[in-house]
Amino acid sequence: MSVTAILVLVVNAILVNNFILSRFLGICPFLGVSKKIDTALGMGFAVIFVMGVASVITYALNLLLIKANILYLQTIVFILVIASLIQLVEIVVKRFSPGLYSALGVYLPLITTNCAVLGVAIMNVSIPVSSAASGLLIAFINGISSGIGFTIAILILAGIREKLETADIPKSFQGFPITLLIASIMAMAFAAFSGFNIG
Amino acid sequence: MSTALQIIIPVALLAGLSLAFAITIAFFSKKFLVEVDPKIEMVESLLSGANCGACGFAGCSAFAEALVNGEASLSSCSATSMESKEEIAKILGSADVGEKSIVVVACSGGNSCLDKYAYQGYGDCSSVELLAGGRKACPVGCIGMSKCIAECPYHAIELKDGCAIVEQESCTQCGLCISNCPKNLIKRLPANAKYYIACSSPDKGKEVRSYCKNGCIGCQICVKNCKEGALSFENNLPVFDYEKCTACGVCFEKCPAKCIKKIDI
Repeated sequence: MSVTAILVLVVNAILVNNFILSRFLGICPFLGVSKKIDTALGMGFAVIFVMGVASVITYALNLLLIKANILYLQTIVFILVIASLIQLVEIVVKRFSPGLYSALGVYLPLITTNCAVLGVAIMNVSIPVSSAASGLLIAFINGISSGIGFTIAILILAGIREKLETADIPKSFQGFPITLLIASIMAMAFAAFSGFNIG
Repeated sequence: MSTALQIIIPVALLAGLSLAFAITIAFFSKKFLVEVDPKIEMVESLLSGANCGACGFAGCSAFAEALVNGEASLSSCSATSMESKEEIAKILGSADVGEKSIVVVACSGGNSCLDKYAYQGYGDCSSVELLAGGRKACPVGCIGMSKCIAECPYHAIELKDGCAIVEQESCTQCGLCISNCPKNLIKRLPANAKYYIACSSPDKGKEVRSYCKNGCIGCQICVKNCKEGALSFENNLPVFDYEKCTACGVCFEKCPAKCIKKIDI
């Protein structure tokens, strides 16, 4: 695999096909945990970790499923992997960062049903590759950079929402309406990246 | 591939994967175990679980933690039923006193106690207390401005002849009134207490008589008549030793000032 191919993969996952702003997956934590930059960052790192590890494990398991000719089990196996990983992350975060744990609250277990994580796992196995080893590498890189894309999007939104705390917003726009408007404008901005002719 | 294999392989694969993940999670949850106060879980299971956030905390689990740490008051939750709240109060109360208790107002003055001055104006007991130590002639008497009544989430306190009295039927011993009484008149007694001294005045009998008809006159008839030796006399007031008291009621009957009261539950 060439360095160019990896770079294309990374830029593609972070900017061009950003999970939240281009594919519209994983909106729940994007809106739910973007009130403060600190918690948004914590959530972002949790998603990066889960996406990275889940990508590798699901890719390897998918090879097993293909060998056993039971590909119809793909979704349930992937969800099993993701759910178990979230449990692990939750235990670790609870142990080492109680503040982050209480800040993330219900959204941490909700990564389990975060369609972005399942989405990246399913997209990984549909990328055409030359060998299983390079497939694993691509899956890992794709997972990590998708997580970074998620983190960047949620961080931008959290930054804007923190500024909005002191802004004079019409009453009917306060809270979620203005947040959704911002999200849509961000999505329009990110749509410009689709002009990149890469990959 | 035979039909049997077609069933066995997926089942075995899923079961094996689940087992592997289960073992991993069990291992890590043991290794990274965080010791949580078991009371928090007990309180949380008794809360409504509505996660409404009306109490000002992130959810019921955060509220339960604050309750156990003494940072929150049960009264700020309106979603939980009264029965559950009483259960929680028992759990939290046991944190303070170790076992069930009884809360009483150690005063029976009220309207029978003379006023030092007439208070007209805004506020509750605490604001009156700031003016020359309260409006009552008795230095420790119940002011009767209903601060405890306003604080009580269970409506278990009422004014009787101008003096606060605890309704034992509704009282959950939460102790909010104890910490809010500016005169420190509300006392927590052990659960086996049947009688209590409804006077807290440290003055001598003659002085007490000069301002309060219901106060203890310090005659010590109760102390002399107690066969169990459960009553002693300190600071011009009889003191109960509830470990010795057999609740015979002699003191209650003999008290000439009627300031030994019976707790009826």
